Amino acid sequence: MSKREITVLTDVALITCVVQRGFADEVIAAARDAGAQGATTYYARGSGVRERLGIFGVAIDVEKEVINVVVSQDQLDRVFERMYLAGKLDTPGMGFIHVTALEKAATYVPEEVKEKLHRSVRRRG
Amino acid sequence: MSDKLRYGDFASAMTINQVSISYNELTPKIAVDADGNELPYVPPKLSLTPRDLFRVLEPYINVRVVEQLRSVVPLALYLALFQLLILRTGVTDAGLISGGVIAVILGLVLFMEGLKLGLMPFGESIGTVLPAKAALPVVMMVALLLGVGVTFAEPAIGALQAAGSMVTAEDAPYLWALLNPWSGTLVLSVGVGVGLAAVLGMLRFIYNWSLKPLIYLTLVPALGLLLYLLSDPELSKTIGMAWDCGAVTTGPVTVPLVLSLGIGVAAATGKGDTSLSGFGIVTLASLFPIIAVMLLVIYLASTVSPEQIIQQAAVAQAEIASAGQWYQQTPWVEAIGGFRAIVPLVLFLLFVIKVVLRESVHNAGIVTYGIVLCVVGMVIFNIGLSYGLSKLGGQSGGLVPAAFATVHGVDGSPLYGFLLGLMIAGAFAWFLGYGSTLAEPALNALGITVETLTNGAFKKSLLMNAVAFGVGCGIAAGTLRMVFDLPLAWFLIPTYLLAAVLTALSTEEFVNVAWDSAGVTTGPVTVPLVLAMGLGFGNSTAATDGFGILSMASIGPILTVLSVGLMIQLKLYRQRQAEVEEGHSNEKDRS
Repeated sequence: MSKREITVLTDVALITCVVQRGFADEVIAAARDAGAQGATTYYARGSGVRERLGIFGVAIDVEKEVINVVVSQDQLDRVFERMYLAGKLDTPGMGFIHVTALEKAATYVPEEVKEKLHRSVRRRG
Repeated sequence: MSDKLRYGDFASAMTINQVSISYNELTPKIAVDADGNELPYVPPKLSLTPRDLFRVLEPYINVRVVEQLRSVVPLALYLALFQLLILRTGVTDAGLISGGVIAVILGLVLFMEGLKLGLMPFGESIGTVLPAKAALPVVMMVALLLGVGVTFAEPAIGALQAAGSMVTAEDAPYLWALLNPWSGTLVLSVGVGVGLAAVLGMLRFIYNWSLKPLIYLTLVPALGLLLYLLSDPELSKTIGMAWDCGAVTTGPVTVPLVLSLGIGVAAATGKGDTSLSGFGIVTLASLFPIIAVMLLVIYLASTVSPEQIIQQAAVAQAEIASAGQWYQQTPWVEAIGGFRAIVPLVLFLLFVIKVVLRESVHNAGIVTYGIVLCVVGMVIFNIGLSYGLSKLGGQSGGLVPAAFATVHGVDGSPLYGFLLGLMIAGAFAWFLGYGSTLAEPALNALGITVETLTNGAFKKSLLMNAVAFGVGCGIAAGTLRMVFDLPLAWFLIPTYLLAAVLTALSTEEFVNVAWDSAGVTTGPVTVPLVLAMGLGFGNSTAATDGFGILSMASIGPILTVLSVGLMIQLKLYRQRQAEVEEGHSNEKDRS
């Protein structure tokens, strides 16, 4: 049996976007169109602008969807911008988006992709 | 001459201008009072520009309107197009009916939103707090009263009263009496049935009873009373209405409010973790009212004679002719009805929260807004019901028999041969049931729950199709029953007995799902349409009463879902059997 190894990915960042319940799909679609590989959504409750809108606060759902998207540094700005626009975050109460720097990440990386990258690294070195 | 450029830099240069400001500039500085104590920060109210207001409100309103449009418009269009294309008759009062349908949509939008904002928070806090704070008898009492309250608030219940105006006292005196002067008592007895079901469902959660014996124990008196009513020719005319009541009760108010209380009780007693908690109450809540209404019929029969009722009806007729008081005319009747439906329930919930639980109401402003929406929505819905859905359903129902029989007012009827026309009428009823059930949002939710409960063995689409197929067959059978004027009991007794046999064979999970699916499928749009259609149909054919279609639509899905469940069980059993055999043969090979 061959020894198992982990391919660690660097230059990764986490985009977290909070939107109202039911709005996540659109934002995720935008993120994927901009090259994001996947997204995780979980449910939460939030408060903030809703309380300050008075009667119009009822239009904003307290139930939120929190979207986590891990992207490469190179994709970061593009995906961030697309998600911001898709979520219409320039409207009060629509949500919040932030980026966290990640030290490293790991997941399944197809064998042939690893080979190709190793070769190009060796050639450069 | 190849300058190296980092792709990330290129990408950020190509994107929208990003302006950075420090968040420190935005967050408030904490103010200090004279003694040096920190004052809590109160954020200022936001003022919205019209554009922002539009962008905030647009999705909010859009989502809710589209939801109701989806459940109402296809059905209304189906009825109208069927009438135009197959029966070749124009829709009379098309303008009034369209207005009514729009009112139904608007009313449902407002009502559902009000329900979510105004009534659900009460239900949730009562559900979580009451079982922990109060003794079991108090909880049972609240559940019983809640059952009555939610029944009055159920939008579909108004359809019963609307249906009452289509019944004549001479043909079926007891039916007329129940739906007109006694309609309040009728709804009350339905409510008591729902309340008792809630109590029993709760006990079931606590003591982990199986649903099967409860079903048998309810079916015995239900079928027994049915046989008793059948023995009297006057009383037998009320059977259809009594059994339809079961389908009417379980709607968008009853199910979540009663369930939240039940689940709260289950959680408080530490029994809330079984995967099936939440099921069963709907089943009981659709069976108990049937018994309650039949008992009411027997009571009514023992106090009033048919002749007295007919006399009373004549007096009432005269009163209507003299136009009555302002509060007896539309739209005031509907407005008062809306208030009477919601306000007692709200007062009762408030009483429980304030006096029994001594809790304060959170977000009083939003809750009030929700309750106002509920009342306004109910009023608009009721108006739409009498001008739109009931009229349309009654009209189509009255015209469909033109396909196979002579109907007054339709030129050239019968339009088709008897057999072909009958098939067209059956197909019309079947597709009406199938389509309207698939469109019901509650069914989608049930499908998802069932798929997770059975680890994917029972697919969501399979359940939805099984239920819709059952409802379609039920409605078709109920419609054709009226053509030949067969007693409804001939259909109810064998189907319920068959359901009991299938129940005995099935496992607890499938029994819960199957019996609940019957209650889930009949929403506030389907019920009035089908009721009115049945009554219209009954008036144009020789049938004695137009009720009974909904009760057939309830038993249909129970049978189909139980059968599909049994088939799945059999398949799984065969698979396991095959695996075991394979294992045996492998062992033999090895030895």
